[in-house]
Amino acid sequence: MTDMPPPHSPPERLNFSYVPRQGLLKLTIVNFLLSVITVGIYRFWAKTNVRKHIWSCVHINGEPIEYTGTGKELFMGALVVFLFLVLPIVLAGAGIGLVYGPQSPLIITYQILFLLLIYVLWGYAVYKARKYQLTRTHWRGIRGNLVGSAMTYSLLYFGSLMAKSMSLGWATPVMNTVLQEQITNDMRFGDAAFKFKGRAGPLYPTYALCWFLTLMALIAVIAAIASAAAGSTAVRDFFGETANPNDIGIYAGYIAIAFAIFLLVSLLVIPMLWSIYVAKELRTFANYSRFDGAPFSLDASAASVIWLVVVNILILIFTLGIGWPYINQRTVKFVVDRLSLDGLIDVDRIAQSQASVDKRGEGLADAFDVGGL
Amino acid sequence: MQIAAVFFDGEFARDRAVTLDDDGSNLVFAGPDVPQTHWSIAGLHPIDPPSPGQPFRLTHDLKPGARLVIRDDAFVHSLVSRNKHLKGGYSWKHLRQVAAWTAGGIAAAIILGYATMAILPQKVAFMLPENWRNRVGGQIVKSLVANAKQCHTVDGDAAKLAMITVLAEGNSDIPPISFEFYDMPLVNAFAAPGGKIIFTRGILEKADRPEEIAGVLAHEIGHVAHRHPEAQLVRMTGLQVLISVVSGSGGGDFTSNVAALAALLRYSREAEREADAYARNTMDMANVDPMGLKTFFEKIMKPGAENKPNDKNASALDRIGNVFSTHPGTEDRIKEIQPLPAGRTPVAVLTPEQWKALKSICG
Repeated sequence: MTDMPPPHSPPERLNFSYVPRQGLLKLTIVNFLLSVITVGIYRFWAKTNVRKHIWSCVHINGEPIEYTGTGKELFMGALVVFLFLVLPIVLAGAGIGLVYGPQSPLIITYQILFLLLIYVLWGYAVYKARKYQLTRTHWRGIRGNLVGSAMTYSLLYFGSLMAKSMSLGWATPVMNTVLQEQITNDMRFGDAAFKFKGRAGPLYPTYALCWFLTLMALIAVIAAIASAAAGSTAVRDFFGETANPNDIGIYAGYIAIAFAIFLLVSLLVIPMLWSIYVAKELRTFANYSRFDGAPFSLDASAASVIWLVVVNILILIFTLGIGWPYINQRTVKFVVDRLSLDGLIDVDRIAQSQASVDKRGEGLADAFDVGGL
Repeated sequence: MQIAAVFFDGEFARDRAVTLDDDGSNLVFAGPDVPQTHWSIAGLHPIDPPSPGQPFRLTHDLKPGARLVIRDDAFVHSLVSRNKHLKGGYSWKHLRQVAAWTAGGIAAAIILGYATMAILPQKVAFMLPENWRNRVGGQIVKSLVANAKQCHTVDGDAAKLAMITVLAEGNSDIPPISFEFYDMPLVNAFAAPGGKIIFTRGILEKADRPEEIAGVLAHEIGHVAHRHPEAQLVRMTGLQVLISVVSGSGGGDFTSNVAALAALLRYSREAEREADAYARNTMDMANVDPMGLKTFFEKIMKPGAENKPNDKNASALDRIGNVFSTHPGTEDRIKEIQPLPAGRTPVAVLTPEQWKALKSICG
């Protein structure tokens, strides 16, 4: 053998693909059974198994990514949050009730403070969960990370919640852009960085469209319910005081129709409407993001996001929630199939980073049931 | 059999080509920039279960960050079929871990549940300071009687005092109590924390002689002496904590609703027996005819004597169940009440005038 310098591959384009493997159905069933047997404790291991499966189907240039988290880490994270946050809060609440009496106004004050604490910690939970998942995601032996402060993100997140609610939602595009910028700029893969730069302006036309469509949907629901009520009054007037059992049937029919419209709108129509904005935001944020200098793009049309969301909701409803691994798979596959990185990356140069890695996982996010995988 | 494989060292993302061989107990590999490495097969761990069309990835105890990626299906098949631990999937170790945590969690829940429900409350009840008992008792009484008027007349109040005095005769350690009538139609009596004993106008109307009221009062004093209301409050708080913890909802609305308050004063059968025993003992020492309590018990148990919860004026009090709640065992409780021994003449609890004054205390 010669002492030639090792071959160094030239910078390459990164291609993302989802290559399904067998076994998700078995995982889903076994996870469900074990969760039932263990009164829910197994869910940390269940989550882990599903992530391992889905991650291993995501190939970048033919090499699958890898999930290295463990059920025990998730469980420990949840246990610590339970012992040092949930339990003290519950005990303090009970203590206040016991000391100052069950009717004391202090109890309401305490509950308000408790809600406020949840809102303040929500962003912290989101950030820590993302950090945990990134540090447990390896590709070619190199892990991801978030290197910023969870506290900063959490304050920003709290501020964004305030701004959104005070502006009736209109601050959403600006705040989402700010939050996305904050977290993306903290993101690393090994020693290579992600960057985010862009303005919220282009999101506004779509946001306005969805906002007004939602308003119209709500007005339509109120009109439908009102006319149902009016209709039932008309029926009663028509038949006068001579009570007829049919009246009641017709009246109940109107109520049932009004309720069905309400369910349909809140569970299906409104999520579908907002999928238009979500698609726009996904595309825009992808364009604003770069990895190692190369820009991303995400080919997510409004129709494709609507289809994703609607089918996910239907899976959730018809499997009574047991089918959640398929929802996660569909969501990951959706992004991977449509994501591309438009530029050359010198992969061989990327080295493992020594940035801190948390020992335990996602405790707060689990306690709050923060969305995500 | 030598095959091509890829090695990642866990320090750089660079993929390093290696040639790989399996000598039966070791995987041996080397490449242009990878020195010859021996990985014992016993120390190998699969990253995922082997799956057709997917690369098979391995790591080793010696270098947990490194990855060896094999794409030769025949090699993988032969390696895995000879070494079952490379199959991946569910591991007994994980399942045992989960089983241990589950068992531990359930055991902890049972022990904590038993402590909060059965052991702690009675102990804590006797440690609560006086001003706390009075304040909380006051709050509970207020929400139970709602807007009902407290009944007072000069002669009626004097009669109440006389009745307490007779019961305290020969029983020096009777706890401090307050004894009030409220203008409510339902038939009930209860004790709240802080020794607050509440009777309704309804119970007064149902009574035919003072011994009946005295018997019920002695029973309620029994609850006070045993600190049953306080213990029940502690127990409810504990239950609230357990429920929030198990259901995962923080905070919780602590006994702020009527249903919770009603449950608060519904005692266990043991507590009722303790109060009965206290009442029998008190009446015996005070030389009061215990048959009043007995006849009153029987009166209340008669069918149709129940409070009607749909009554327009019904309040939380209805939901408590009455003094001699209809749960099983009531007949045994009645049987245990015996007349005073032969030869002892019971004292008059109230004079006829006092009894008349008490009967009309609510107007």
